[in-house]
Amino acid sequence: MFASAAGPSSSTWVEPTKESKPRKEADLKEAWAFLKVGVEHIMTRLHLGMSYSYYILLYTAIYDFCTQPGKPTMNAFSTTRGGASLQGADLYRSLHTWLSDHCKDLREESSKLSDLELLRFYAKQWDRYTTGAMYVNKLFNYLNKHWVKREKDEGRKEVYSVYTLALVAWKQNFFRHFAIPGAGMSRLTQAVLRQIEQQRNGEDIDSGLLKKVIDSYVSLGLDEADAQRQNLEVYKEFFQIPFLSATEQFYRAESAAFISSNSVSDYMKKAEDRLQEEADRVNLYLHDSTRADLKAKCEAALISEHNNLLWEEFQVLLDADRIDDLARMYGHLSRIFGGLDPLREKFGEHVKRAGQAAVQRVLPAPGAVSETGKAETLDPKAYIEALLEVHTKYTDVVEGPFRAEMGFNKSLDQACRDFCNTNAACTTSTRSPELLASYCDLLLRKSNKDLDAESLEAALNQAMIIFKFIDDKDVFQKFYQKKLAQRLVGSLSASDDSESSMITKLKELSGFDYTNKLSRMFTDVNLSRDLAERFKEKERQLGVNNDIDFQPLVLGTNFWPLAPQQTDFSIPREIQSTYDRFTVFHNEVHQGRKLTWLWHVSKNELRTTYLPQKYIFMTSSYQMAILTQFNENDALTYREILTGTKISEGILKPQLALLVKAKVLLQSGEETYDLNLNFKSKKIRVQLNQAVRSEQKAEQKEVLAAVDEDRKFIYQATIVRLMKGRKTMQHQALMQEVTAQISSKFTPKIPEIKKAIDYLIDKEYLERSAESNNT
Amino acid sequence: MSDSKKQTVLLQTSDDEQFTVEKVVAERSAMIKSMMEDLGDQEGMPIPLPNVSSSVLTKILEYCDHHKNEPLPAPDVNDADDSRRKTSEIGEWDARWIQVDQEMLFEIILAANYLDIKPLLDVGCKTVANMIKGKTPEEIRKLFNITNDFTPEEEEQIRKENEWAEE
Repeated sequence: MFASAAGPSSSTWVEPTKESKPRKEADLKEAWAFLKVGVEHIMTRLHLGMSYSYYILLYTAIYDFCTQPGKPTMNAFSTTRGGASLQGADLYRSLHTWLSDHCKDLREESSKLSDLELLRFYAKQWDRYTTGAMYVNKLFNYLNKHWVKREKDEGRKEVYSVYTLALVAWKQNFFRHFAIPGAGMSRLTQAVLRQIEQQRNGEDIDSGLLKKVIDSYVSLGLDEADAQRQNLEVYKEFFQIPFLSATEQFYRAESAAFISSNSVSDYMKKAEDRLQEEADRVNLYLHDSTRADLKAKCEAALISEHNNLLWEEFQVLLDADRIDDLARMYGHLSRIFGGLDPLREKFGEHVKRAGQAAVQRVLPAPGAVSETGKAETLDPKAYIEALLEVHTKYTDVVEGPFRAEMGFNKSLDQACRDFCNTNAACTTSTRSPELLASYCDLLLRKSNKDLDAESLEAALNQAMIIFKFIDDKDVFQKFYQKKLAQRLVGSLSASDDSESSMITKLKELSGFDYTNKLSRMFTDVNLSRDLAERFKEKERQLGVNNDIDFQPLVLGTNFWPLAPQQTDFSIPREIQSTYDRFTVFHNEVHQGRKLTWLWHVSKNELRTTYLPQKYIFMTSSYQMAILTQFNENDALTYREILTGTKISEGILKPQLALLVKAKVLLQSGEETYDLNLNFKSKKIRVQLNQAVRSEQKAEQKEVLAAVDEDRKFIYQATIVRLMKGRKTMQHQALMQEVTAQISSKFTPKIPEIKKAIDYLIDKEYLERSAESNNT
Repeated sequence: MSDSKKQTVLLQTSDDEQFTVEKVVAERSAMIKSMMEDLGDQEGMPIPLPNVSSSVLTKILEYCDHHKNEPLPAPDVNDADDSRRKTSEIGEWDARWIQVDQEMLFEIILAANYLDIKPLLDVGCKTVANMIKGKTPEEIRKLFNITNDFTPEEEEQIRKENEWAEE
């Protein structure tokens, strides 16, 4: 009835039936004789199938044997237990013996095989064996759940569940016997490594086969205490170690050979491919835990070994702007520890040199040097653009091949800071801020017509990049303030929007304090416009008929870098009345404010009436005063002019010289000036208000002096602020703190700080403490 | 799932009676489940259960059918469901279901062990435990019809060893 109608029986295999099942009380010999046939069938002929009934017969036989009421056995394990003892030990031992013998047979069969044949045989047997063992494990579930579990609970280490037992038998009786004496690796591993080497040499191999074999190494790592846990010791010892050393050898040899006959650039490509191949290899058939070690080994053999060569090549690549190769080099060297450091350094140096070279290019040729020094003739626009060009180029490099890596950004910034502050054009550190201010001035002036609002904005943003790199930001501030004043007073700004956007940018970077004065200046101008309107309104109301168009600018003394010149000035009759009325008006609007007239920054337009052609002279107030003297006379002596205008000689003389140069006045003899009645000019508007060269120079000096003066206060203020907080401080610590706090504004100089401290001590704000260095 | 509901298997008891049951019901037995997984479907082939009688199987199938939609306990393990095993609580349905005579109760436990139906084994054992709870050794002997084969000395010895558990 239970005949094996199920399984596709073969001629050599007939399933035992119920009749051959051992009795319930069968002894080990009888039970095992029946079970052995079943185990053997599962382990070796599973493909022939098995019927439910045979399976149940086997299961029941095991169950019956294990639940036999205890009878005295010879077994050491069970003697400790009483009547209800489980009979597993004998069964377990029989199974173990059978599995071991089976594995020994396999060993015998494989002893003649090697390389691919061996791998194939091993993989095939492994497949069959593990599948079978899985079935047997379930069949022996009752043994596992009761006898094995109990043994384990009692702390016996060498008892495993049936599947694990099968693996142990495999390892001990088959796997371990591949060892080649003295070779350091087993025959099996050797075969695997040969396959891998063939693959590295470009041959096709059966990755699936390798995967099976290598997976078996992983499976054989059994954790004695816990079968669930993976233990990679076998894999590591028998495979990973020999594999890694073979890998290292292979790549050392290969890379050395390759690099000796190919370019570094080609080598980098090759190495890149190889690294990718090895990463793929892990995915294909290695255990994932090998990934990191394999990567490290390959990187060591392929990159670290040759890092000097790569470092050397770096400069060549930079010089040639070989972006792809740079990216590849970055990719390689970023893998190894410290691999990028020399690159960052070299990159910084390279950018510095590029910056210096760029500045050198825009410097005027030595032949064109004027007596005032070459820096004078340096075009701020060319200069700043040269700096920007270098910055832009290498920012692209950092963001491209170097993947915007932090270290490279830092090198770039440092290099830029370096060449922005110190270069051939900058004899002092104040030169760069000055040129930058001039550049901004150029951009923001009305005369700058090549830029629309958008590109102007972009240009200003660019200028801010350089601004970031500049150390002496206070110098820039002063120069910028000066230029801004000129633009505002002279109504030379291209647009208010651009001006205020620039101020906003500066504020974003350097804070409110930094731009306070600038924005106040800006506001003043707007307020003045209102004031002028109101004044004009009032004039109209009063019915004052005035042919003088008066545009006052009332500016806060503290915010403007403008100081009245040390000179008397007699106000020409022609504008006296306007002057008086405005003074009165101003006092009405703002009581208690002192109004100081800054004649030297005002502008005038004079209409000529004495010439056949009408001209408009654009003059300074001084020139205006001089020329109005000629309203009554056609010729005046120097003395007469001097007394008429009360302008001090130092100012008067250059002004006169300008007028003479423009041929408005004619100098006759030493002391006499005649009005040129034959004046001719191509333009109707004649610009006479030209800055005097000496003034320009003086202006620069003035600004720098003002900066120095300000710095003194900053030093002192910083020191006082710190000391107020700390009361006592070591000299050295104080110096450091001060340096740290100030360096956002400019580069502090140690002697200056000392001077400031001394000054404060003199003024008795500070005193030296009795003991040594404490201030 | 809906597919497997219709699938049936044929179980054959020790007294040669055949039961056609839903596959999911039969699979409450871990032993049957793993066998079918390993051997594959063998349409129409009976699964012999030489250690289970038809009367016991009928009773057990009742239980299996009632619980067929519950998740199966993890196949290979032991301590995860300890908490469930420790409590002597038995579900309401189970408690009513297991109200059988002593002989049937032990048959059920044996079959549950053989068929590897863990929750059922637990229910059976808990029931026995509840029967023992709070009784003297003498009462227990009477309940299960056990003859006392201890000598008075042995008994004294055991009582001493277990003193801590009393009271």
